Amino acid sequence: MSSVDLYAALVAARHCAPGCSAKEEVWRSGKMSLYRYSPIAEPTSEVPLLIVYALINRPYMMDLQEDRSLIRGLLSQGLTVYLIDWGYPDGADRFTTLADYIEGSLLRSVEEISRIHRCNALNILGVCQGGVFSLCFAALHPERVRNLITMVTPVDFHTSDDLLSKWVRKIDVTAWVGNGNVSGDTLNRLFLSLMPFRLTHQKYVELLRGGADRARIENFMRVERWIFDSPDQAGAAFREFVVWFYQENRLARNQLKIDGRPVDLKTLRQPILNLIGRRDHLVPPASSAALQRLTGSHDFTTLELDLGHIGMYVSARAQREVPPAIARWLAER
Amino acid sequence: MEFDLWRHWQALAALAMASAHAPESGSARATDGFAPLMDAAQRFASAAGSFFDGGSTGSTNAAQAFGNFLRDQFTDLYPLPWLKGFAAPSAAAASAPLEAPALGLTREHQERAQRTAEAWQRLVEAQRRLQRLWSDTLREAAAAFVSRLTPQAPSSSAESLNRLYDAWIDCAEEAYARMAHSEPFSDALAECVNASSDWRRETSATIEQWAKLLDLPTRSEINTLALRLRAAEGELASMRAQLEAAAPHSREHGAARADGQPAESRPRADRRSRADQPARQDRQTRTVAPKTRRRARRGKARP
Repeated sequence: MSSVDLYAALVAARHCAPGCSAKEEVWRSGKMSLYRYSPIAEPTSEVPLLIVYALINRPYMMDLQEDRSLIRGLLSQGLTVYLIDWGYPDGADRFTTLADYIEGSLLRSVEEISRIHRCNALNILGVCQGGVFSLCFAALHPERVRNLITMVTPVDFHTSDDLLSKWVRKIDVTAWVGNGNVSGDTLNRLFLSLMPFRLTHQKYVELLRGGADRARIENFMRVERWIFDSPDQAGAAFREFVVWFYQENRLARNQLKIDGRPVDLKTLRQPILNLIGRRDHLVPPASSAALQRLTGSHDFTTLELDLGHIGMYVSARAQREVPPAIARWLAER
Repeated sequence: MEFDLWRHWQALAALAMASAHAPESGSARATDGFAPLMDAAQRFASAAGSFFDGGSTGSTNAAQAFGNFLRDQFTDLYPLPWLKGFAAPSAAAASAPLEAPALGLTREHQERAQRTAEAWQRLVEAQRRLQRLWSDTLREAAAAFVSRLTPQAPSSSAESLNRLYDAWIDCAEEAYARMAHSEPFSDALAECVNASSDWRRETSATIEQWAKLLDLPTRSEINTLALRLRAAEGELASMRAQLEAAAPHSREHGAARADGQPAESRPRADRRSRADQPARQDRQTRTVAPKTRRRARRGKARP
């Protein structure tokens, strides 16, 4: 490998844009957009699938590039796919709460899709924090959710291997957040601190070890961009999420209320597919697996893959296994 | 943890460079960009070379020296990420006597200065505790790494360097994980963040005090306005929802876009172009604060 070649490849890949599937915005509210992806295969289901992504990073990771796109995989299975893009909150959004996201933007997105497709209930795929939102939503509006899929979703925030939870347990989050937002840079540093040697050194050495292969470098740069393209977090919602979930573990303890209404996972009767990454360093497998004992669903499927948090939607293995598994599971219901 | 590609590559990127051939003859730009990498590569190769030379004669000192080299390389890595961007306290705040009684016209300002200085001292102490824990981590990692090095057959091939590097990373992450999961680390980290929050709050209050003297707008005032606006939007949404409830057909009309057409029925080209543009009028006409909206559905108006 020539370092000059590598440097040239990195320079050439600087502006690689993520995203490969055609989509259209069907609804917008404030900074939030609801997208519908254009079909690429004969439809296999009349029930649309709404992907609810986390607030923490940008949702284009679900459609990074042609060979690394969970969305493309789902489309190729004949599913009708919608995605919520929460946007980039700024200082004017600092008082936005979890209720605003779940009972506002998410609810209205579901209503909009229901109106378009003339159906009462959708399939929902929640990813990470978006999975938590999806669980809350399904518990608050069970009639709106036909099947629920949770991917690398934390449920029990007090498992022994949850490092983030241990770290924030004694932090005065209200004082930390104050009345402002939490910057994406701060969160990035926090996440890098979970595995500093691997995430700040080894992965770049891995980059050096490989050749100047254009596709590999472009893929690296797209993922790199995604990792550090972190929106600021609306202060109020962030504070609620950390205190209610990480510190007080309200969801698992059945003590959570959103907008004054209880969120009881036992009320979930929908079929649930829970996708777990066995090597997930952000959401420990045990945290996700807790959903099975906490939910009231009698149709519960767990799919545990030997993947990490990000690998669950961008690894080559995930591309091969996850979309067909989701489509098959949905088709059976 | 400062994100700096070249800095991250320093020191341990050398193993990859070792597999490269003779010095590159590329453009000056590329050479400049890789200069820190080359420097780090030389240092790493030199340290690894010493280790391999020592290893061939059975010296454990060579392994120890190599472990120490890696410790040194990572000493400055520890990010203290929550503290990044914090400036040193003002001279007045740093020198404020913490226990002096605050009296007279400026007593509130004196107390604020004392609280600021106290928070800064707590912050510095918490940083020291974290730095000690980080140092312990590196010592543990180096010890574990050295114990793995001893039986290794000496070889300075690129493959050996790769294995060395991976072994170091494994040892370092294992040692770090033990430390990061420990109670002392969580305590020190929480104290660090809490002290920094206190310092920021007091500093912010001081700055706002000066802003008021100069009749400049403050963040607190903007927050108050934002909350009032939010409440007003809620009231508006509540009234709109009540109107919808009173006239059932208006719900259908409300679902249409502001341009009078449902999203589904608009021309495809138009929809596509909208996706690339900032939101327009419908942002205002369709945004409904959820709390009041749901209350309205239940027939409750916001008090």
